[in-house]
This record gives sequence, C-alpha cells and structure tokens, in this order.
Amino acid sequence: MVQDIVVFSGSSHPKLSEKIVQNLSLDLGKVKLGKFSNGETSISIGESVREKDVYVIQSGCGNVNDNFIELLIMLSACKTASAKKVTAVIPLFPYSRQPDLPYSKKGSPQSLSNDQSNNYLNNDSNSNNFFSGYKNWIAQSGTLIAELLTKSGADHIITMDLHDSQFQGFFNISVDNLYSKPILQHYIKTKIPNYENGIIVSPDAGGAKRATAIADNLQLPFALIHKERRTHNPKQVSNSTLDLTSTNSNKSFATTMLVGDVEGKDCIIVDDLLDTSSTIIKAAKLLKNQNCGKIYVLITHAIFSGNAIELIKDSHIDKIIVTNSVPQDDHVKQLGDKIEVLDVSKLFGEAIRRIHNGESVSILFDHGYE
Amino acid sequence: MSVTANSIKLIAGNSHPELALKISERLRIPLTKITASQNTNKESFVTVGESIRDEDVYIIQTGCGETSVNDFLMELLLLINACKSASARRITAVIPNFPYARQDKKDKSRAPITAKLIANLIQTAGCNHVITMDLHASQIQGFFTIPVDNLYAEPSVFQYLKQNIDLQNSILVSPDAGGAKRVASQADKLDLNFALIHKERQKANEVSRMVLVGDVTDKVCILIDDIADTCGTLAKAADTLLSNGAKEVISVVTHGVFSGAAQEKLNNSKLTKLICTNTLPVSIDYPKLDQIDISPTLAEAIRRLHNGESISYLFTHVF
Repeated sequence: MVQDIVVFSGSSHPKLSEKIVQNLSLDLGKVKLGKFSNGETSISIGESVREKDVYVIQSGCGNVNDNFIELLIMLSACKTASAKKVTAVIPLFPYSRQPDLPYSKKGSPQSLSNDQSNNYLNNDSNSNNFFSGYKNWIAQSGTLIAELLTKSGADHIITMDLHDSQFQGFFNISVDNLYSKPILQHYIKTKIPNYENGIIVSPDAGGAKRATAIADNLQLPFALIHKERRTHNPKQVSNSTLDLTSTNSNKSFATTMLVGDVEGKDCIIVDDLLDTSSTIIKAAKLLKNQNCGKIYVLITHAIFSGNAIELIKDSHIDKIIVTNSVPQDDHVKQLGDKIEVLDVSKLFGEAIRRIHNGESVSILFDHGYE
Repeated sequence: MSVTANSIKLIAGNSHPELALKISERLRIPLTKITASQNTNKESFVTVGESIRDEDVYIIQTGCGETSVNDFLMELLLLINACKSASARRITAVIPNFPYARQDKKDKSRAPITAKLIANLIQTAGCNHVITMDLHASQIQGFFTIPVDNLYAEPSVFQYLKQNIDLQNSILVSPDAGGAKRVASQADKLDLNFALIHKERQKANEVSRMVLVGDVTDKVCILIDDIADTCGTLAKAADTLLSNGAKEVISVVTHGVFSGAAQEKLNNSKLTKLICTNTLPVSIDYPKLDQIDISPTLAEAIRRLHNGESISYLFTHVF
C-alpha cells in the first residue's frame, strides 16, 4: 500500500492495533513506550514521520489516565516531528459519559468505596455534609478531553459508538464516529437461533434510539426499560412498578418498569457501554421476572470494571456479545462460553484506508465491513 | 468600588494532602470541600462541594507517584476545568514539583517535549496562573503564555544550612554541569568555595564516569541539586568526593522523588546526611533524611498573589 501512512499503537490495546494494520497490509510504526523510574511516561518514536499521514491507536481502557496521557504525548511528539496530519484512533473514547447527577444514588458510574480511597482527602464530603443550599458542582469533562486532544496536535479523531453523539460537537476538528451496528446486526442475523421471534430491548431510555434502529432494520419488536426517580411515594405513581428500591433516606425511590411485552420471547439487550454491569444485571432480572426466553446481551464497549465479571456469571444472562474495542482476552478466560467477541479491526482498518485516500466513510455506517 | 471583594479558596488534590493542610493552616483558610476519586473504570472524577463563583482559587497538586503521576495530572486538569466552569474568577495551579519537567527539549529526533505539552494542557484546562518551585529548567516558564511564578527553596535551604551545619569548613558542590550556574551563585551568596563534578551520562537514570573539578580535601562537601530521583548520581558523587579526600558529604535537594532503587542506593551510599524539602511526599524510609518545610513560602506566595503584592521578596527571604 501507499508509503506515506504510519500507524502507531499505544500500549492500551496492542492486539487490536496489530489486527488493524494487518488489514491495511502495513507494519506498525516503530515506537518505544515505557515509563521512567519516577512514573512519568516515556515515549520514543523510532521512525520518521515527516510529511506523513500518522494514525495513533489508543483505546480508553485499563489505566485510563496513563493511556490518555500517553496518547497526548504521542500525538504531540508526531506533531513536533513534522507529521503532515495526525489522527487519533480511539475505539473506546475515555471520559465519554458526562456525569450529571451526584453519585450518591445507585447505578454506574460508581466511585470507589471509602476504604479503597483512604488516601483521599475529604472522604466525609461524599455524604451530604455540604453546607445547605449548594448542590455539588460536578466536572463535565467532555469539552476538556476534546480540547486536550486538539491542543496536543490531533487533526482528526476516529472513534466508535460515542456514548453521547453530542460529544462530536465538543471538537473543533473533524470526528468520525463509526458504528458497530452493522456488526451487531450481522451477529444477530447469523448467530442467534430464531432471532425472528426475538425482541430487542434497550436497558435505559438513553440507548433507546440505538436499539430501535437495530429493531427497525431487523424488523423485530422493541421493548424499553425505564428507570425513574421520584421523591414521593411510588405507589401512587404507577401500578406497573416491578422493582422498588429505596435509594436514600430522603425518600427518593427508583422504579424500573418495562415498556413492551417480552413473555416467551428471546430478549436481545443492546447497549453501547458496560461498566459495572449493574444496569444490565437489573435489566436481565426484570426480563426474567416477565418470563422471557433466553437473554442475549450485545455491548459495544465492555469494560467489566469492579466485580462485573462475577455479577455476569451469576446473572440470568445466557450470552454476552462484545467487541474488541477494549482488550477482552482476560474476560474471555473468565467467562468462557458465556462471552463472544466480535472483531472491529476491519471496520477501523477500512475507515483508516478510506480517510487516508479521501473516500467516503459513511458507507461503513450502514453496511459495515465484513 | 465596582469590583466586589473575593477570597482565597484552597483546593487540594490527592497528590500531597499533608502539604495542602500545612498551607491551609498557615493561611488560616480551610480547604474547600471537594471530592476527587476514581470510578471503577479508572476514570477520575471530581466534584466541588462549595460555591467558588467569583473567588480566587488555588489548586494544590504536585507531580509525584510512581504509578499515579498521570492520574494526579488528569485530576489537576479536571479540577481546573471544574473551577473554570463553576465561574471562578481566577484559577492558580500550585504545582510544587512540576511533572515531566525533565522532558523539556527535543534531545533526540522525534523526542516529545512533554513539559511543553503539560504546559499547554494546564492552560487549555483553564488555568490563569501557575506557582511552582525550582523548575528543572527555568525556560519551562516560557512554555506558558500565562504568568508563572517560579519560587526558590534557596532561602529556606540557606536558613537550614546556617542553623544546622558548620559552614566554616564547607564547600558547595554541583553534581553536574547543568546545575553549575545555580550552585556557583549560591556559593557566592554564602561566601563559600565551589566545586563541580562532571559526569558522562550514557542513558537516562544511569551515570557512568565522574570527574571532579576543584579541591575538596578535608572539606565538608554540600552537594546541591534540584531533583533526587533514583539517587544514582548522588551516591556516585559522594563516592567521588570521598575518594578525593573530602571529610564528609551532605546532600541538599529540592525535590525528593526517590523512585526505583533509591532506597537501596541511599542505604549503600556514604552520605552523612540528605536534606530535601516537602514539595513531594517522601516515599522512602531513610534515617539520615531531614526535611525542610517549604509550605510557609508557598502560603506566603498565595497570600501575596491574592493581595497583588510583590512575590520577588520571597526569592531572598524566609517566612
């Protein structure tokens, strides 16, 4: 292939990078990644990038901050070494969830419990001892992350299934947000027996649009799990209340309800991100209570943080299907037959090829690249 | 007056809470309530628990931690950004030990100038002012387009030396050519002689051969450097000095990073004493270590900056 393209891999997910360059019939660019003894990230780029089209592949997984800073240093090193264009390829975009509520409530993202964070100041401020009247100010990291990437020298971003599609708007550079939808659809059609009798389920309202798109394409029915928090007595709210959990003392109740009929059907839960897995586990429980058939879970970015693996093992989920946007080898070892990993390297490889050659990328949105 | 009065808000990151508390006690201003921790997916997240609208905010975060340098850096950026979006009037990052300060030049082809990158990141996050101490290279100030106050540990160090060490028979020694200028001027101020060790370095964090320039026979040598990291340089310099007839070797450093095999190297070294400041939390257990508290200098800098008084007085005086 063409000579003026160089693809570097960060240390977060070398296996995916390897696969991506294989699809491009290239070798990975030479780069030495490591740390100085004081813990600072050290990078040395081993081949010329002058006037080249440079791609740096780094996923937002593992030690997120280490990997993110490493990416920033690599981008800036390439930029100062006179690369023509520097593109950050970020299969899982870090900090893509914009927190909007104080995390005293249940559900992800969860903070570490206090005993794990004993080196932290002001542990007590986790509770509600803040002086009255002032609500916590929560850092909205989206714009910051976007600006940090731009400032480091990124000219272009390639990512996949951004949690909020608004995130693209935080950038002043072009962002190509790829979709795993075609790959997931292909899996449903070819690997799930009797998928025609199944039902697509979105575990929360935020993912409804993504899930309905798949349901429409496959002409399947659709169900939605809705979670609401009310401060008054939930019994007066609705009689479809199925799962009632009191979340904290000031009488706020979280109720989950299912919109749609799943009885006797195989459920295919679709979501973009699995972190602590609590949302999915709750959804599976709720569906099982409604006498559904088998439960399949399709996730784009499966991080499995905390004790997610254990929870999945003990859950009603029959099979969980994830992509290799983050390393999955460890998870496969632990979950065995229960997990299946779909490859997205071809999608990224083709996107890189098309972007490099100035061809349209949008065809990948609907048809994927198998 | 059209401008309403504002007050100092001190925010401490997780890197060095002891130092932050000392500064807070000194200024008699409590630390602002914040949370800064990590989610289970290892993303940092911060919340600010008090209103900081239109206030003068100081965020204290030093660069340290063998496994968490980048975590603390991201935390700093998130804190700055949180304060900016919470409408703080001015945000000052107090970074006693500036991270990545040694990666300040393109010394090889395609080497990253990470110090410049960090300067960019801090500004991008929304910082208005930086207070730091004994920058490895003062040129790093030029990487910023916002004001940078580079404080010196020198006055505190001099005070310590005058109180604890008989300077009559002493000589100041710079362990490398890079620090020669600084140490020479310090020797002038203390009216002492000056010697220099020239080292030939082959790889980062590894020292090969050392040559002494100057006469140290029967003298108490005071080795002065800005950073003690793996301590290979210090241990070898002590050996070189002693083999050249020095009576004893005392070392004074500003930033005691002490990473890697520092503990072992120090235990095996022939240093009589090692003195560092508390710009970083000390991670080693070394009985000959003495610490100088520089929180008064930082606190005074914060006070003066807030009140719009001159900082340069701090370059020569102790608080």
